[in-house]
Amino acid sequence: MKILVIVEQREGKLNRVSFETLTGAQAIARETGWTLEAAIVGSGVGEIAKEVASKKVAKVYDIESPQLAAYTPDAFVAALKSFIADRKPTLVLMPHTYQVRDFAPKLATALGRALVSDCTGYKKDGDKLLFVRQMFQGKFSADVAFAGEPPYFATFQTGAFRGDQVEAGASPAPVETLQADVPASALRNKPGEVFKEAKQAVDLTQAEIIVAVGRGIKEEKNLAIARQLAEALGGEIAASRPICDAGWLPMDRQIGSSGQTVAPKLYVALGISGAIQHIVGMKGSRTIVAVNKDSEAPIFEVADVGIVGNLFELIPPLIEEIKKAKAGA
Amino acid sequence: MIIFRKPLTGIERPQMEADVVIVGGGPAGLACALRLSQLIDEHNSKHPDQQLSKENIYVLEKAREIGQHCLSGALLDPRSMRELLPGFEKEAPIEAEVTEEAVYFLTKSGKFKAPITPPPLRDHGNYVISLNRFAKWMGEKVEAAGITVFSGFAGSELLIEGERVAGVRTDDKGVDKSNQPKGNFEPGYDLKAKVVLLAEGTRGSLTKQLVARFHLDHDRNPMTYGVGVKELWELPPGRIAPGEVIYTMGWPLTTREYGGAWIYGGKDNVISLGFVTGLDYPDPRLDPQRVLQEFKLHPMVRSLLEGGKMIRYGAKSLPYGGWWAIPPVAGDGWMILGDSAGFLNSQRLKGIHLAIKSGMLAAETAFEALSQSDFSAARLAGYQRRVENSWIRQELWKVRNFHQGFEHGLWAGMFHAGLQQITGGRGLYARYPATAGHRRLKKLAQLPADGGAEAHLINDYKGDGKLTFDKLTDLYHSGTKHEEDQPAHLVIQDTNICNTRCVTEFGNPCQHFCPASVYEMVEASDSPSGKQIHLNPSNCVHCKTCDIMDPYEIITWVPPEGGGGPNYDGM
Repeated sequence: MKILVIVEQREGKLNRVSFETLTGAQAIARETGWTLEAAIVGSGVGEIAKEVASKKVAKVYDIESPQLAAYTPDAFVAALKSFIADRKPTLVLMPHTYQVRDFAPKLATALGRALVSDCTGYKKDGDKLLFVRQMFQGKFSADVAFAGEPPYFATFQTGAFRGDQVEAGASPAPVETLQADVPASALRNKPGEVFKEAKQAVDLTQAEIIVAVGRGIKEEKNLAIARQLAEALGGEIAASRPICDAGWLPMDRQIGSSGQTVAPKLYVALGISGAIQHIVGMKGSRTIVAVNKDSEAPIFEVADVGIVGNLFELIPPLIEEIKKAKAGA
Repeated sequence: MIIFRKPLTGIERPQMEADVVIVGGGPAGLACALRLSQLIDEHNSKHPDQQLSKENIYVLEKAREIGQHCLSGALLDPRSMRELLPGFEKEAPIEAEVTEEAVYFLTKSGKFKAPITPPPLRDHGNYVISLNRFAKWMGEKVEAAGITVFSGFAGSELLIEGERVAGVRTDDKGVDKSNQPKGNFEPGYDLKAKVVLLAEGTRGSLTKQLVARFHLDHDRNPMTYGVGVKELWELPPGRIAPGEVIYTMGWPLTTREYGGAWIYGGKDNVISLGFVTGLDYPDPRLDPQRVLQEFKLHPMVRSLLEGGKMIRYGAKSLPYGGWWAIPPVAGDGWMILGDSAGFLNSQRLKGIHLAIKSGMLAAETAFEALSQSDFSAARLAGYQRRVENSWIRQELWKVRNFHQGFEHGLWAGMFHAGLQQITGGRGLYARYPATAGHRRLKKLAQLPADGGAEAHLINDYKGDGKLTFDKLTDLYHSGTKHEEDQPAHLVIQDTNICNTRCVTEFGNPCQHFCPASVYEMVEASDSPSGKQIHLNPSNCVHCKTCDIMDPYEIITWVPPEGGGGPNYDGM
């Protein structure tokens, strides 16, 4: 009876959450008396294999192939499927990371086995090993038992075990390097460059000048006027809910009770009526300039400068004047 | 294109076995859970060898916390609470005991006080409560009793096997605007239950499915409703004593609308003020939120509120069709409780005590079924019998024809009500028929363009920001909040009707009757009428008025993602 922990590396770096899974696996090994082994998948990841071998495990497999250099679910599953079919572990444990979430269901399905995902712990009930999963948003815990033949697949939630409590081995465990045979034909994914989540393009709370538009802008193409004004002023563009609702601007540019709360030096409200839901998001602005054709619009109650009029007539000359003034200065 | 919420298909859902599933954590559902727990405790102490478990009894509540969606006046007739928890007054959150009551008939600027309070409106011995706080307290008791409450989970579908209700499906979580699963998608659970108790409140969405599936409205009067729009106000001290109760009739309504106002004095100079407008008014432009604003402009109310501050807002529909409109309340695998069934006394405008009583009677039946391991329709029919033999029927029988008497206006209503008072509730006929309220809406062509006598009740209202408010300002004080990226939970069968027929026939009453500005008609060049319906589902306060009052019966209110909705703290 064997337990296999698949540790995770991303771009040649060990994901430390793997140690949490290893801690859990060590505990299960102690209680069951089963042998604990680990495996790593990648290309040129021998160093990581050695690091894992310093922990209390019987053996570490370094599954190598140039095809595994970049993560793809097809390549990882191809490599692990034949490895697991070959070595026949009873239990395969993984950390519940995004990468594992991506390939583990495919791996389990390829072997015709079930995967118990996102477990918060395990229990031993006589001979049976039970895995604990949350239900109803944590209100309940379900004990899940495997039926049928091994191997059994399970993933552990981050924080289920403590990575700093992983037991070191008395001496380094042997590392066996295996060349995985990943046929190019199995690969349907072509990994591109690793995508680094772009820093949020805009942090409206830091903006000194905001030009916000509301329903008075009428059509999506009229956003251009507001953009030009924002550009002339050197500010950011934002909006009230109807505009973001319509998808004309992304949600992160929405000001108000269901969006951002801002307090810039200058807030220009174009065609915003000023319902309280919007006001609560911008009333702290130092100077508020409002343009609206309805003189009764509540936005004028909080505005320092209020202009009753048609924004399509008022704003273009204003943009010109701002440009002139800036050029003059 | 608006995409509407519906349970996803073709996905695997986690299943869970349950004995009893109670849908809705209001007074009916919570009283049911408490009573059931009491009966099980009693049984277990008498029969140490045959223990019954509470482990598989669940309460589903769509609000994030128990009580958040509970809104009522509220006055509590303590009769059923005394049966459920004798001496409950010692620990329950009660604002005040009713000390003084008055009934006024208002004209535009005058008032006439009824020389004596009509018997049905005598409230000595009743309590002013916040239903939100009361339900929260009951919820704590239920959880302490060992019954699991799943708050933040709505019942989205009934699981029906053949002719039997076999369980409830909870809401799918993490579904985006176009009905596609998001990264945090969690499918709804299939709770397989031996019996499902529907305690969803007025116009429950599962109850609606059940009534339609088994034609439970056959031979019943159509249910009629009102919508209560409420504000909590904090007043300068000394304006109104805790426990002081004021009812008004008349202004701002004309004799063609049914309804009236309440003002209840609570603790700490906070008062509950609201207006119930019958959802059977003729003018489709009438706006119940505006009715409340007009009411506050009456000199009597204005002088009461001046210098005070509005602190909360909310709205909820209530069923007052009465005895003849109540569907069968038990069947194969199901029971219907409280407002979902229509247990409300339309003359006293009280239903909390009946909801609690119905919950207790349903619990007794569910307990019998549990202890006998017999969940057959015949066994559950015990609930129907219990209701018919209880004081619920006695109380409702006396007012069985009350609301119907008002269908032809206030004066005819007064005549019938008087006659019914001296004939034990009968009046002129053994059974007064009723008309569903939405059928009484008149087409614009039949109405004066300026609203005529109702001119002050129709269309949008700006408010002065101190005494009176526009709808969005009021709405802000409901604390309503929903996940924004989810499909619309106001399911409109055919939006073409909104954009064409309804524009000309009724002028889109949804814009006006909705107290939360969920429905809007926006300009659209590609629509032949020049207008197009737009929904703001995250404004919804879960009052169900749209489901009730839309003239074409094409709107179905379904629960949005669990956890969303108003926050009626202290309401």
